[in-house]
Amino acid sequence: MGPYDSSVSAGSSSSSGSSSSCSGKPADTIDGLLAGAGYRVRSSELRQVAQRLARLETVMVNAPTEVSHLANDAVHYNPSDLASWVDSLLSELHQPEIAPDPSTFSDLNYIAHTQAGHVLVNPMVSHRELSAGTEIEEDSGIRLVHVLMTCAESVHRGELSLAASLIEELQGLLTSVDGERGIGKVAGYFIDALSRRVFAPQGASLADSAFENAVLYHHFYEACPYLKFAHFTANQAILEAFSGHDCVHVIDFNLMHGLQWPALIQALALRPGGPPLLRLTGIGPPSPDGHDSLREIGLRLAELARSVNVRFAFRGVAASRLDDVKPWMLQVNPKEVVAVNSIMQLHKLLGSDPSRGSPIDPVLGWIRNLNPKIVMVVEQEANHNQPEFLDRFTEALHYYSTMFDSLEAYSAQLEKSLAEIYIQREICNVVCCEGLARVERHEPLVKWRDRLGGAGFTSLHLGSNAFKQASMLLALFSAEGYCVEENEGCLTLGWHSRPLIAASAWQAMPNIHSHE
Amino acid sequence: MVNLLQNGDVCMEELEEEAPMFCINDNEDVLVEILRRLDGRSLGSAACVCKMWCGIARNDALWEHLCFRHVSPPPSGVRPVVVALGGYRRLYMVCLRPVLSRLGRMRVGLGGGESDLVRRVWTRQEVELSLSLFCVDYYERLLGGGGKLTDAPASSLMFLCKTVNV
Repeated sequence: MGPYDSSVSAGSSSSSGSSSSCSGKPADTIDGLLAGAGYRVRSSELRQVAQRLARLETVMVNAPTEVSHLANDAVHYNPSDLASWVDSLLSELHQPEIAPDPSTFSDLNYIAHTQAGHVLVNPMVSHRELSAGTEIEEDSGIRLVHVLMTCAESVHRGELSLAASLIEELQGLLTSVDGERGIGKVAGYFIDALSRRVFAPQGASLADSAFENAVLYHHFYEACPYLKFAHFTANQAILEAFSGHDCVHVIDFNLMHGLQWPALIQALALRPGGPPLLRLTGIGPPSPDGHDSLREIGLRLAELARSVNVRFAFRGVAASRLDDVKPWMLQVNPKEVVAVNSIMQLHKLLGSDPSRGSPIDPVLGWIRNLNPKIVMVVEQEANHNQPEFLDRFTEALHYYSTMFDSLEAYSAQLEKSLAEIYIQREICNVVCCEGLARVERHEPLVKWRDRLGGAGFTSLHLGSNAFKQASMLLALFSAEGYCVEENEGCLTLGWHSRPLIAASAWQAMPNIHSHE
Repeated sequence: MVNLLQNGDVCMEELEEEAPMFCINDNEDVLVEILRRLDGRSLGSAACVCKMWCGIARNDALWEHLCFRHVSPPPSGVRPVVVALGGYRRLYMVCLRPVLSRLGRMRVGLGGGESDLVRRVWTRQEVELSLSLFCVDYYERLLGGGGKLTDAPASSLMFLCKTVNV
């Protein structure tokens, strides 16, 4: 393996999974990244070599007959001089009737082909023998991502045995990167998810007890600002919508520990004119062992409300799925003003069942018929509901890499680990599950706008107060990198200009006919 | 010891112990007036002097004054809520001080010593946000104690400060 003397270090140093691109450097230098992998290629020739490799692959893939003569040929080309190797192979494979058989190439272990048309060659030469350095780390990280994408692709095509061997290779590659942070950590979770999908498809979704879920959710709430942003923004909008009304009713689609409501209760207590009568209906999964967790949360909230002198009434509705809830269970009083609060719940209704159809439409229908003053919708800003597995996988890899990146700043290790497990469950659901089991069907804001607009809702602009409050909330976090953006009246919170969560407010369009 | 004579002259003399010694501990009202003007850290230190000072320095009214003396306009009707949620001293230690120091640092761009914080004027929104966070803190303690209020360090507010001294 030749020494490399160039100072080029290609690839991204951030932990998002972007593919490497070698930056141009003086023409005569050998590219450092490929040199680390055992190939000598001039930086000036990189582009041509890449193009020719792509052409070589096309030729080999499309060729129908055996190419075994290449393996048995006495002339062995030295692949470390990649440019001339590719040229000689291309001239040899003049005839397009040559079938590929990667296993016959003694010099090349394996060729990974990424979506961008970039060809990365995985050499037999182990570069672990080189001294450790960040270039090596980046190189391993980038290779990891490429092999991960290839594995996903093979799963997408249904080639499960290939996927299985790739998973083994990935687990090996994981040992050469830092699994505690950056790309190593994210890749670890995705490799785990892929292996669940490939090896144990039946038990793929992680068993989720409602209690565990609530605990993990609480730690996710603490470790990063996404949920706090959601709660505070929603509360601000609800507070403004309730202004001037004396009888108000909030319907929470996912009560959990009720962490959102203390702040609203306190704000209502201090509002000019005094607090209204507040009713809260909390929807949540039924508790398995008979003890009523919804009611307990209601009791705590009632205690808090009593301390600050707000008249309060709570009702719990136990339902394992949102589409099991019927409007009569909510007991909405015609004289009261209703606010519906959905924090990351609506996307769960997007799966469709041949017998029942997609539950989102009837649910949006009954929400609308409640004639709410405001409907708060907070959703993950990601496109994880695409029909093709590979698209979902790629999108999820980017999304969750960014999210893990943002989590890294949080110092308390235990909370961080539990928050990561919470995220891991989402990842597993997106990657491993299909059909009705796949509930994490995130869609971006533009799609929700269309959907809600089509269901008879108009958008309410979140005011500048909400924006200022969100900005202040972020300023209180030690990690700088979060950003709040305003997007046509909706607010998004993201990490380094990638929005990760979007909050929007809606109101039912006035309708003349009522459907019930 | 300086003695002011009737004709206005000043003469320096050793006097016997007839002149009353002013002892601050005998004049609680003066002490309170002095402590009212201190910043949070000094008030905390004052509480460590002796039992009497501790009792006075922990008086919530002092902390109320500290919390909102630089808020313009001062919030009204807040007291029953703050008292119900844990009192002004806790509000200051757990919410206001970290919020002020973080936001102050952002605004001024300095290290933000305690004296700098005192000079800042709050905005209404900063007050509201602090109160909301304080309420979340109260609720989490309620949850954690299974219905009884515990004195456990605030978990949701961990993002505000590395260590919490209450």
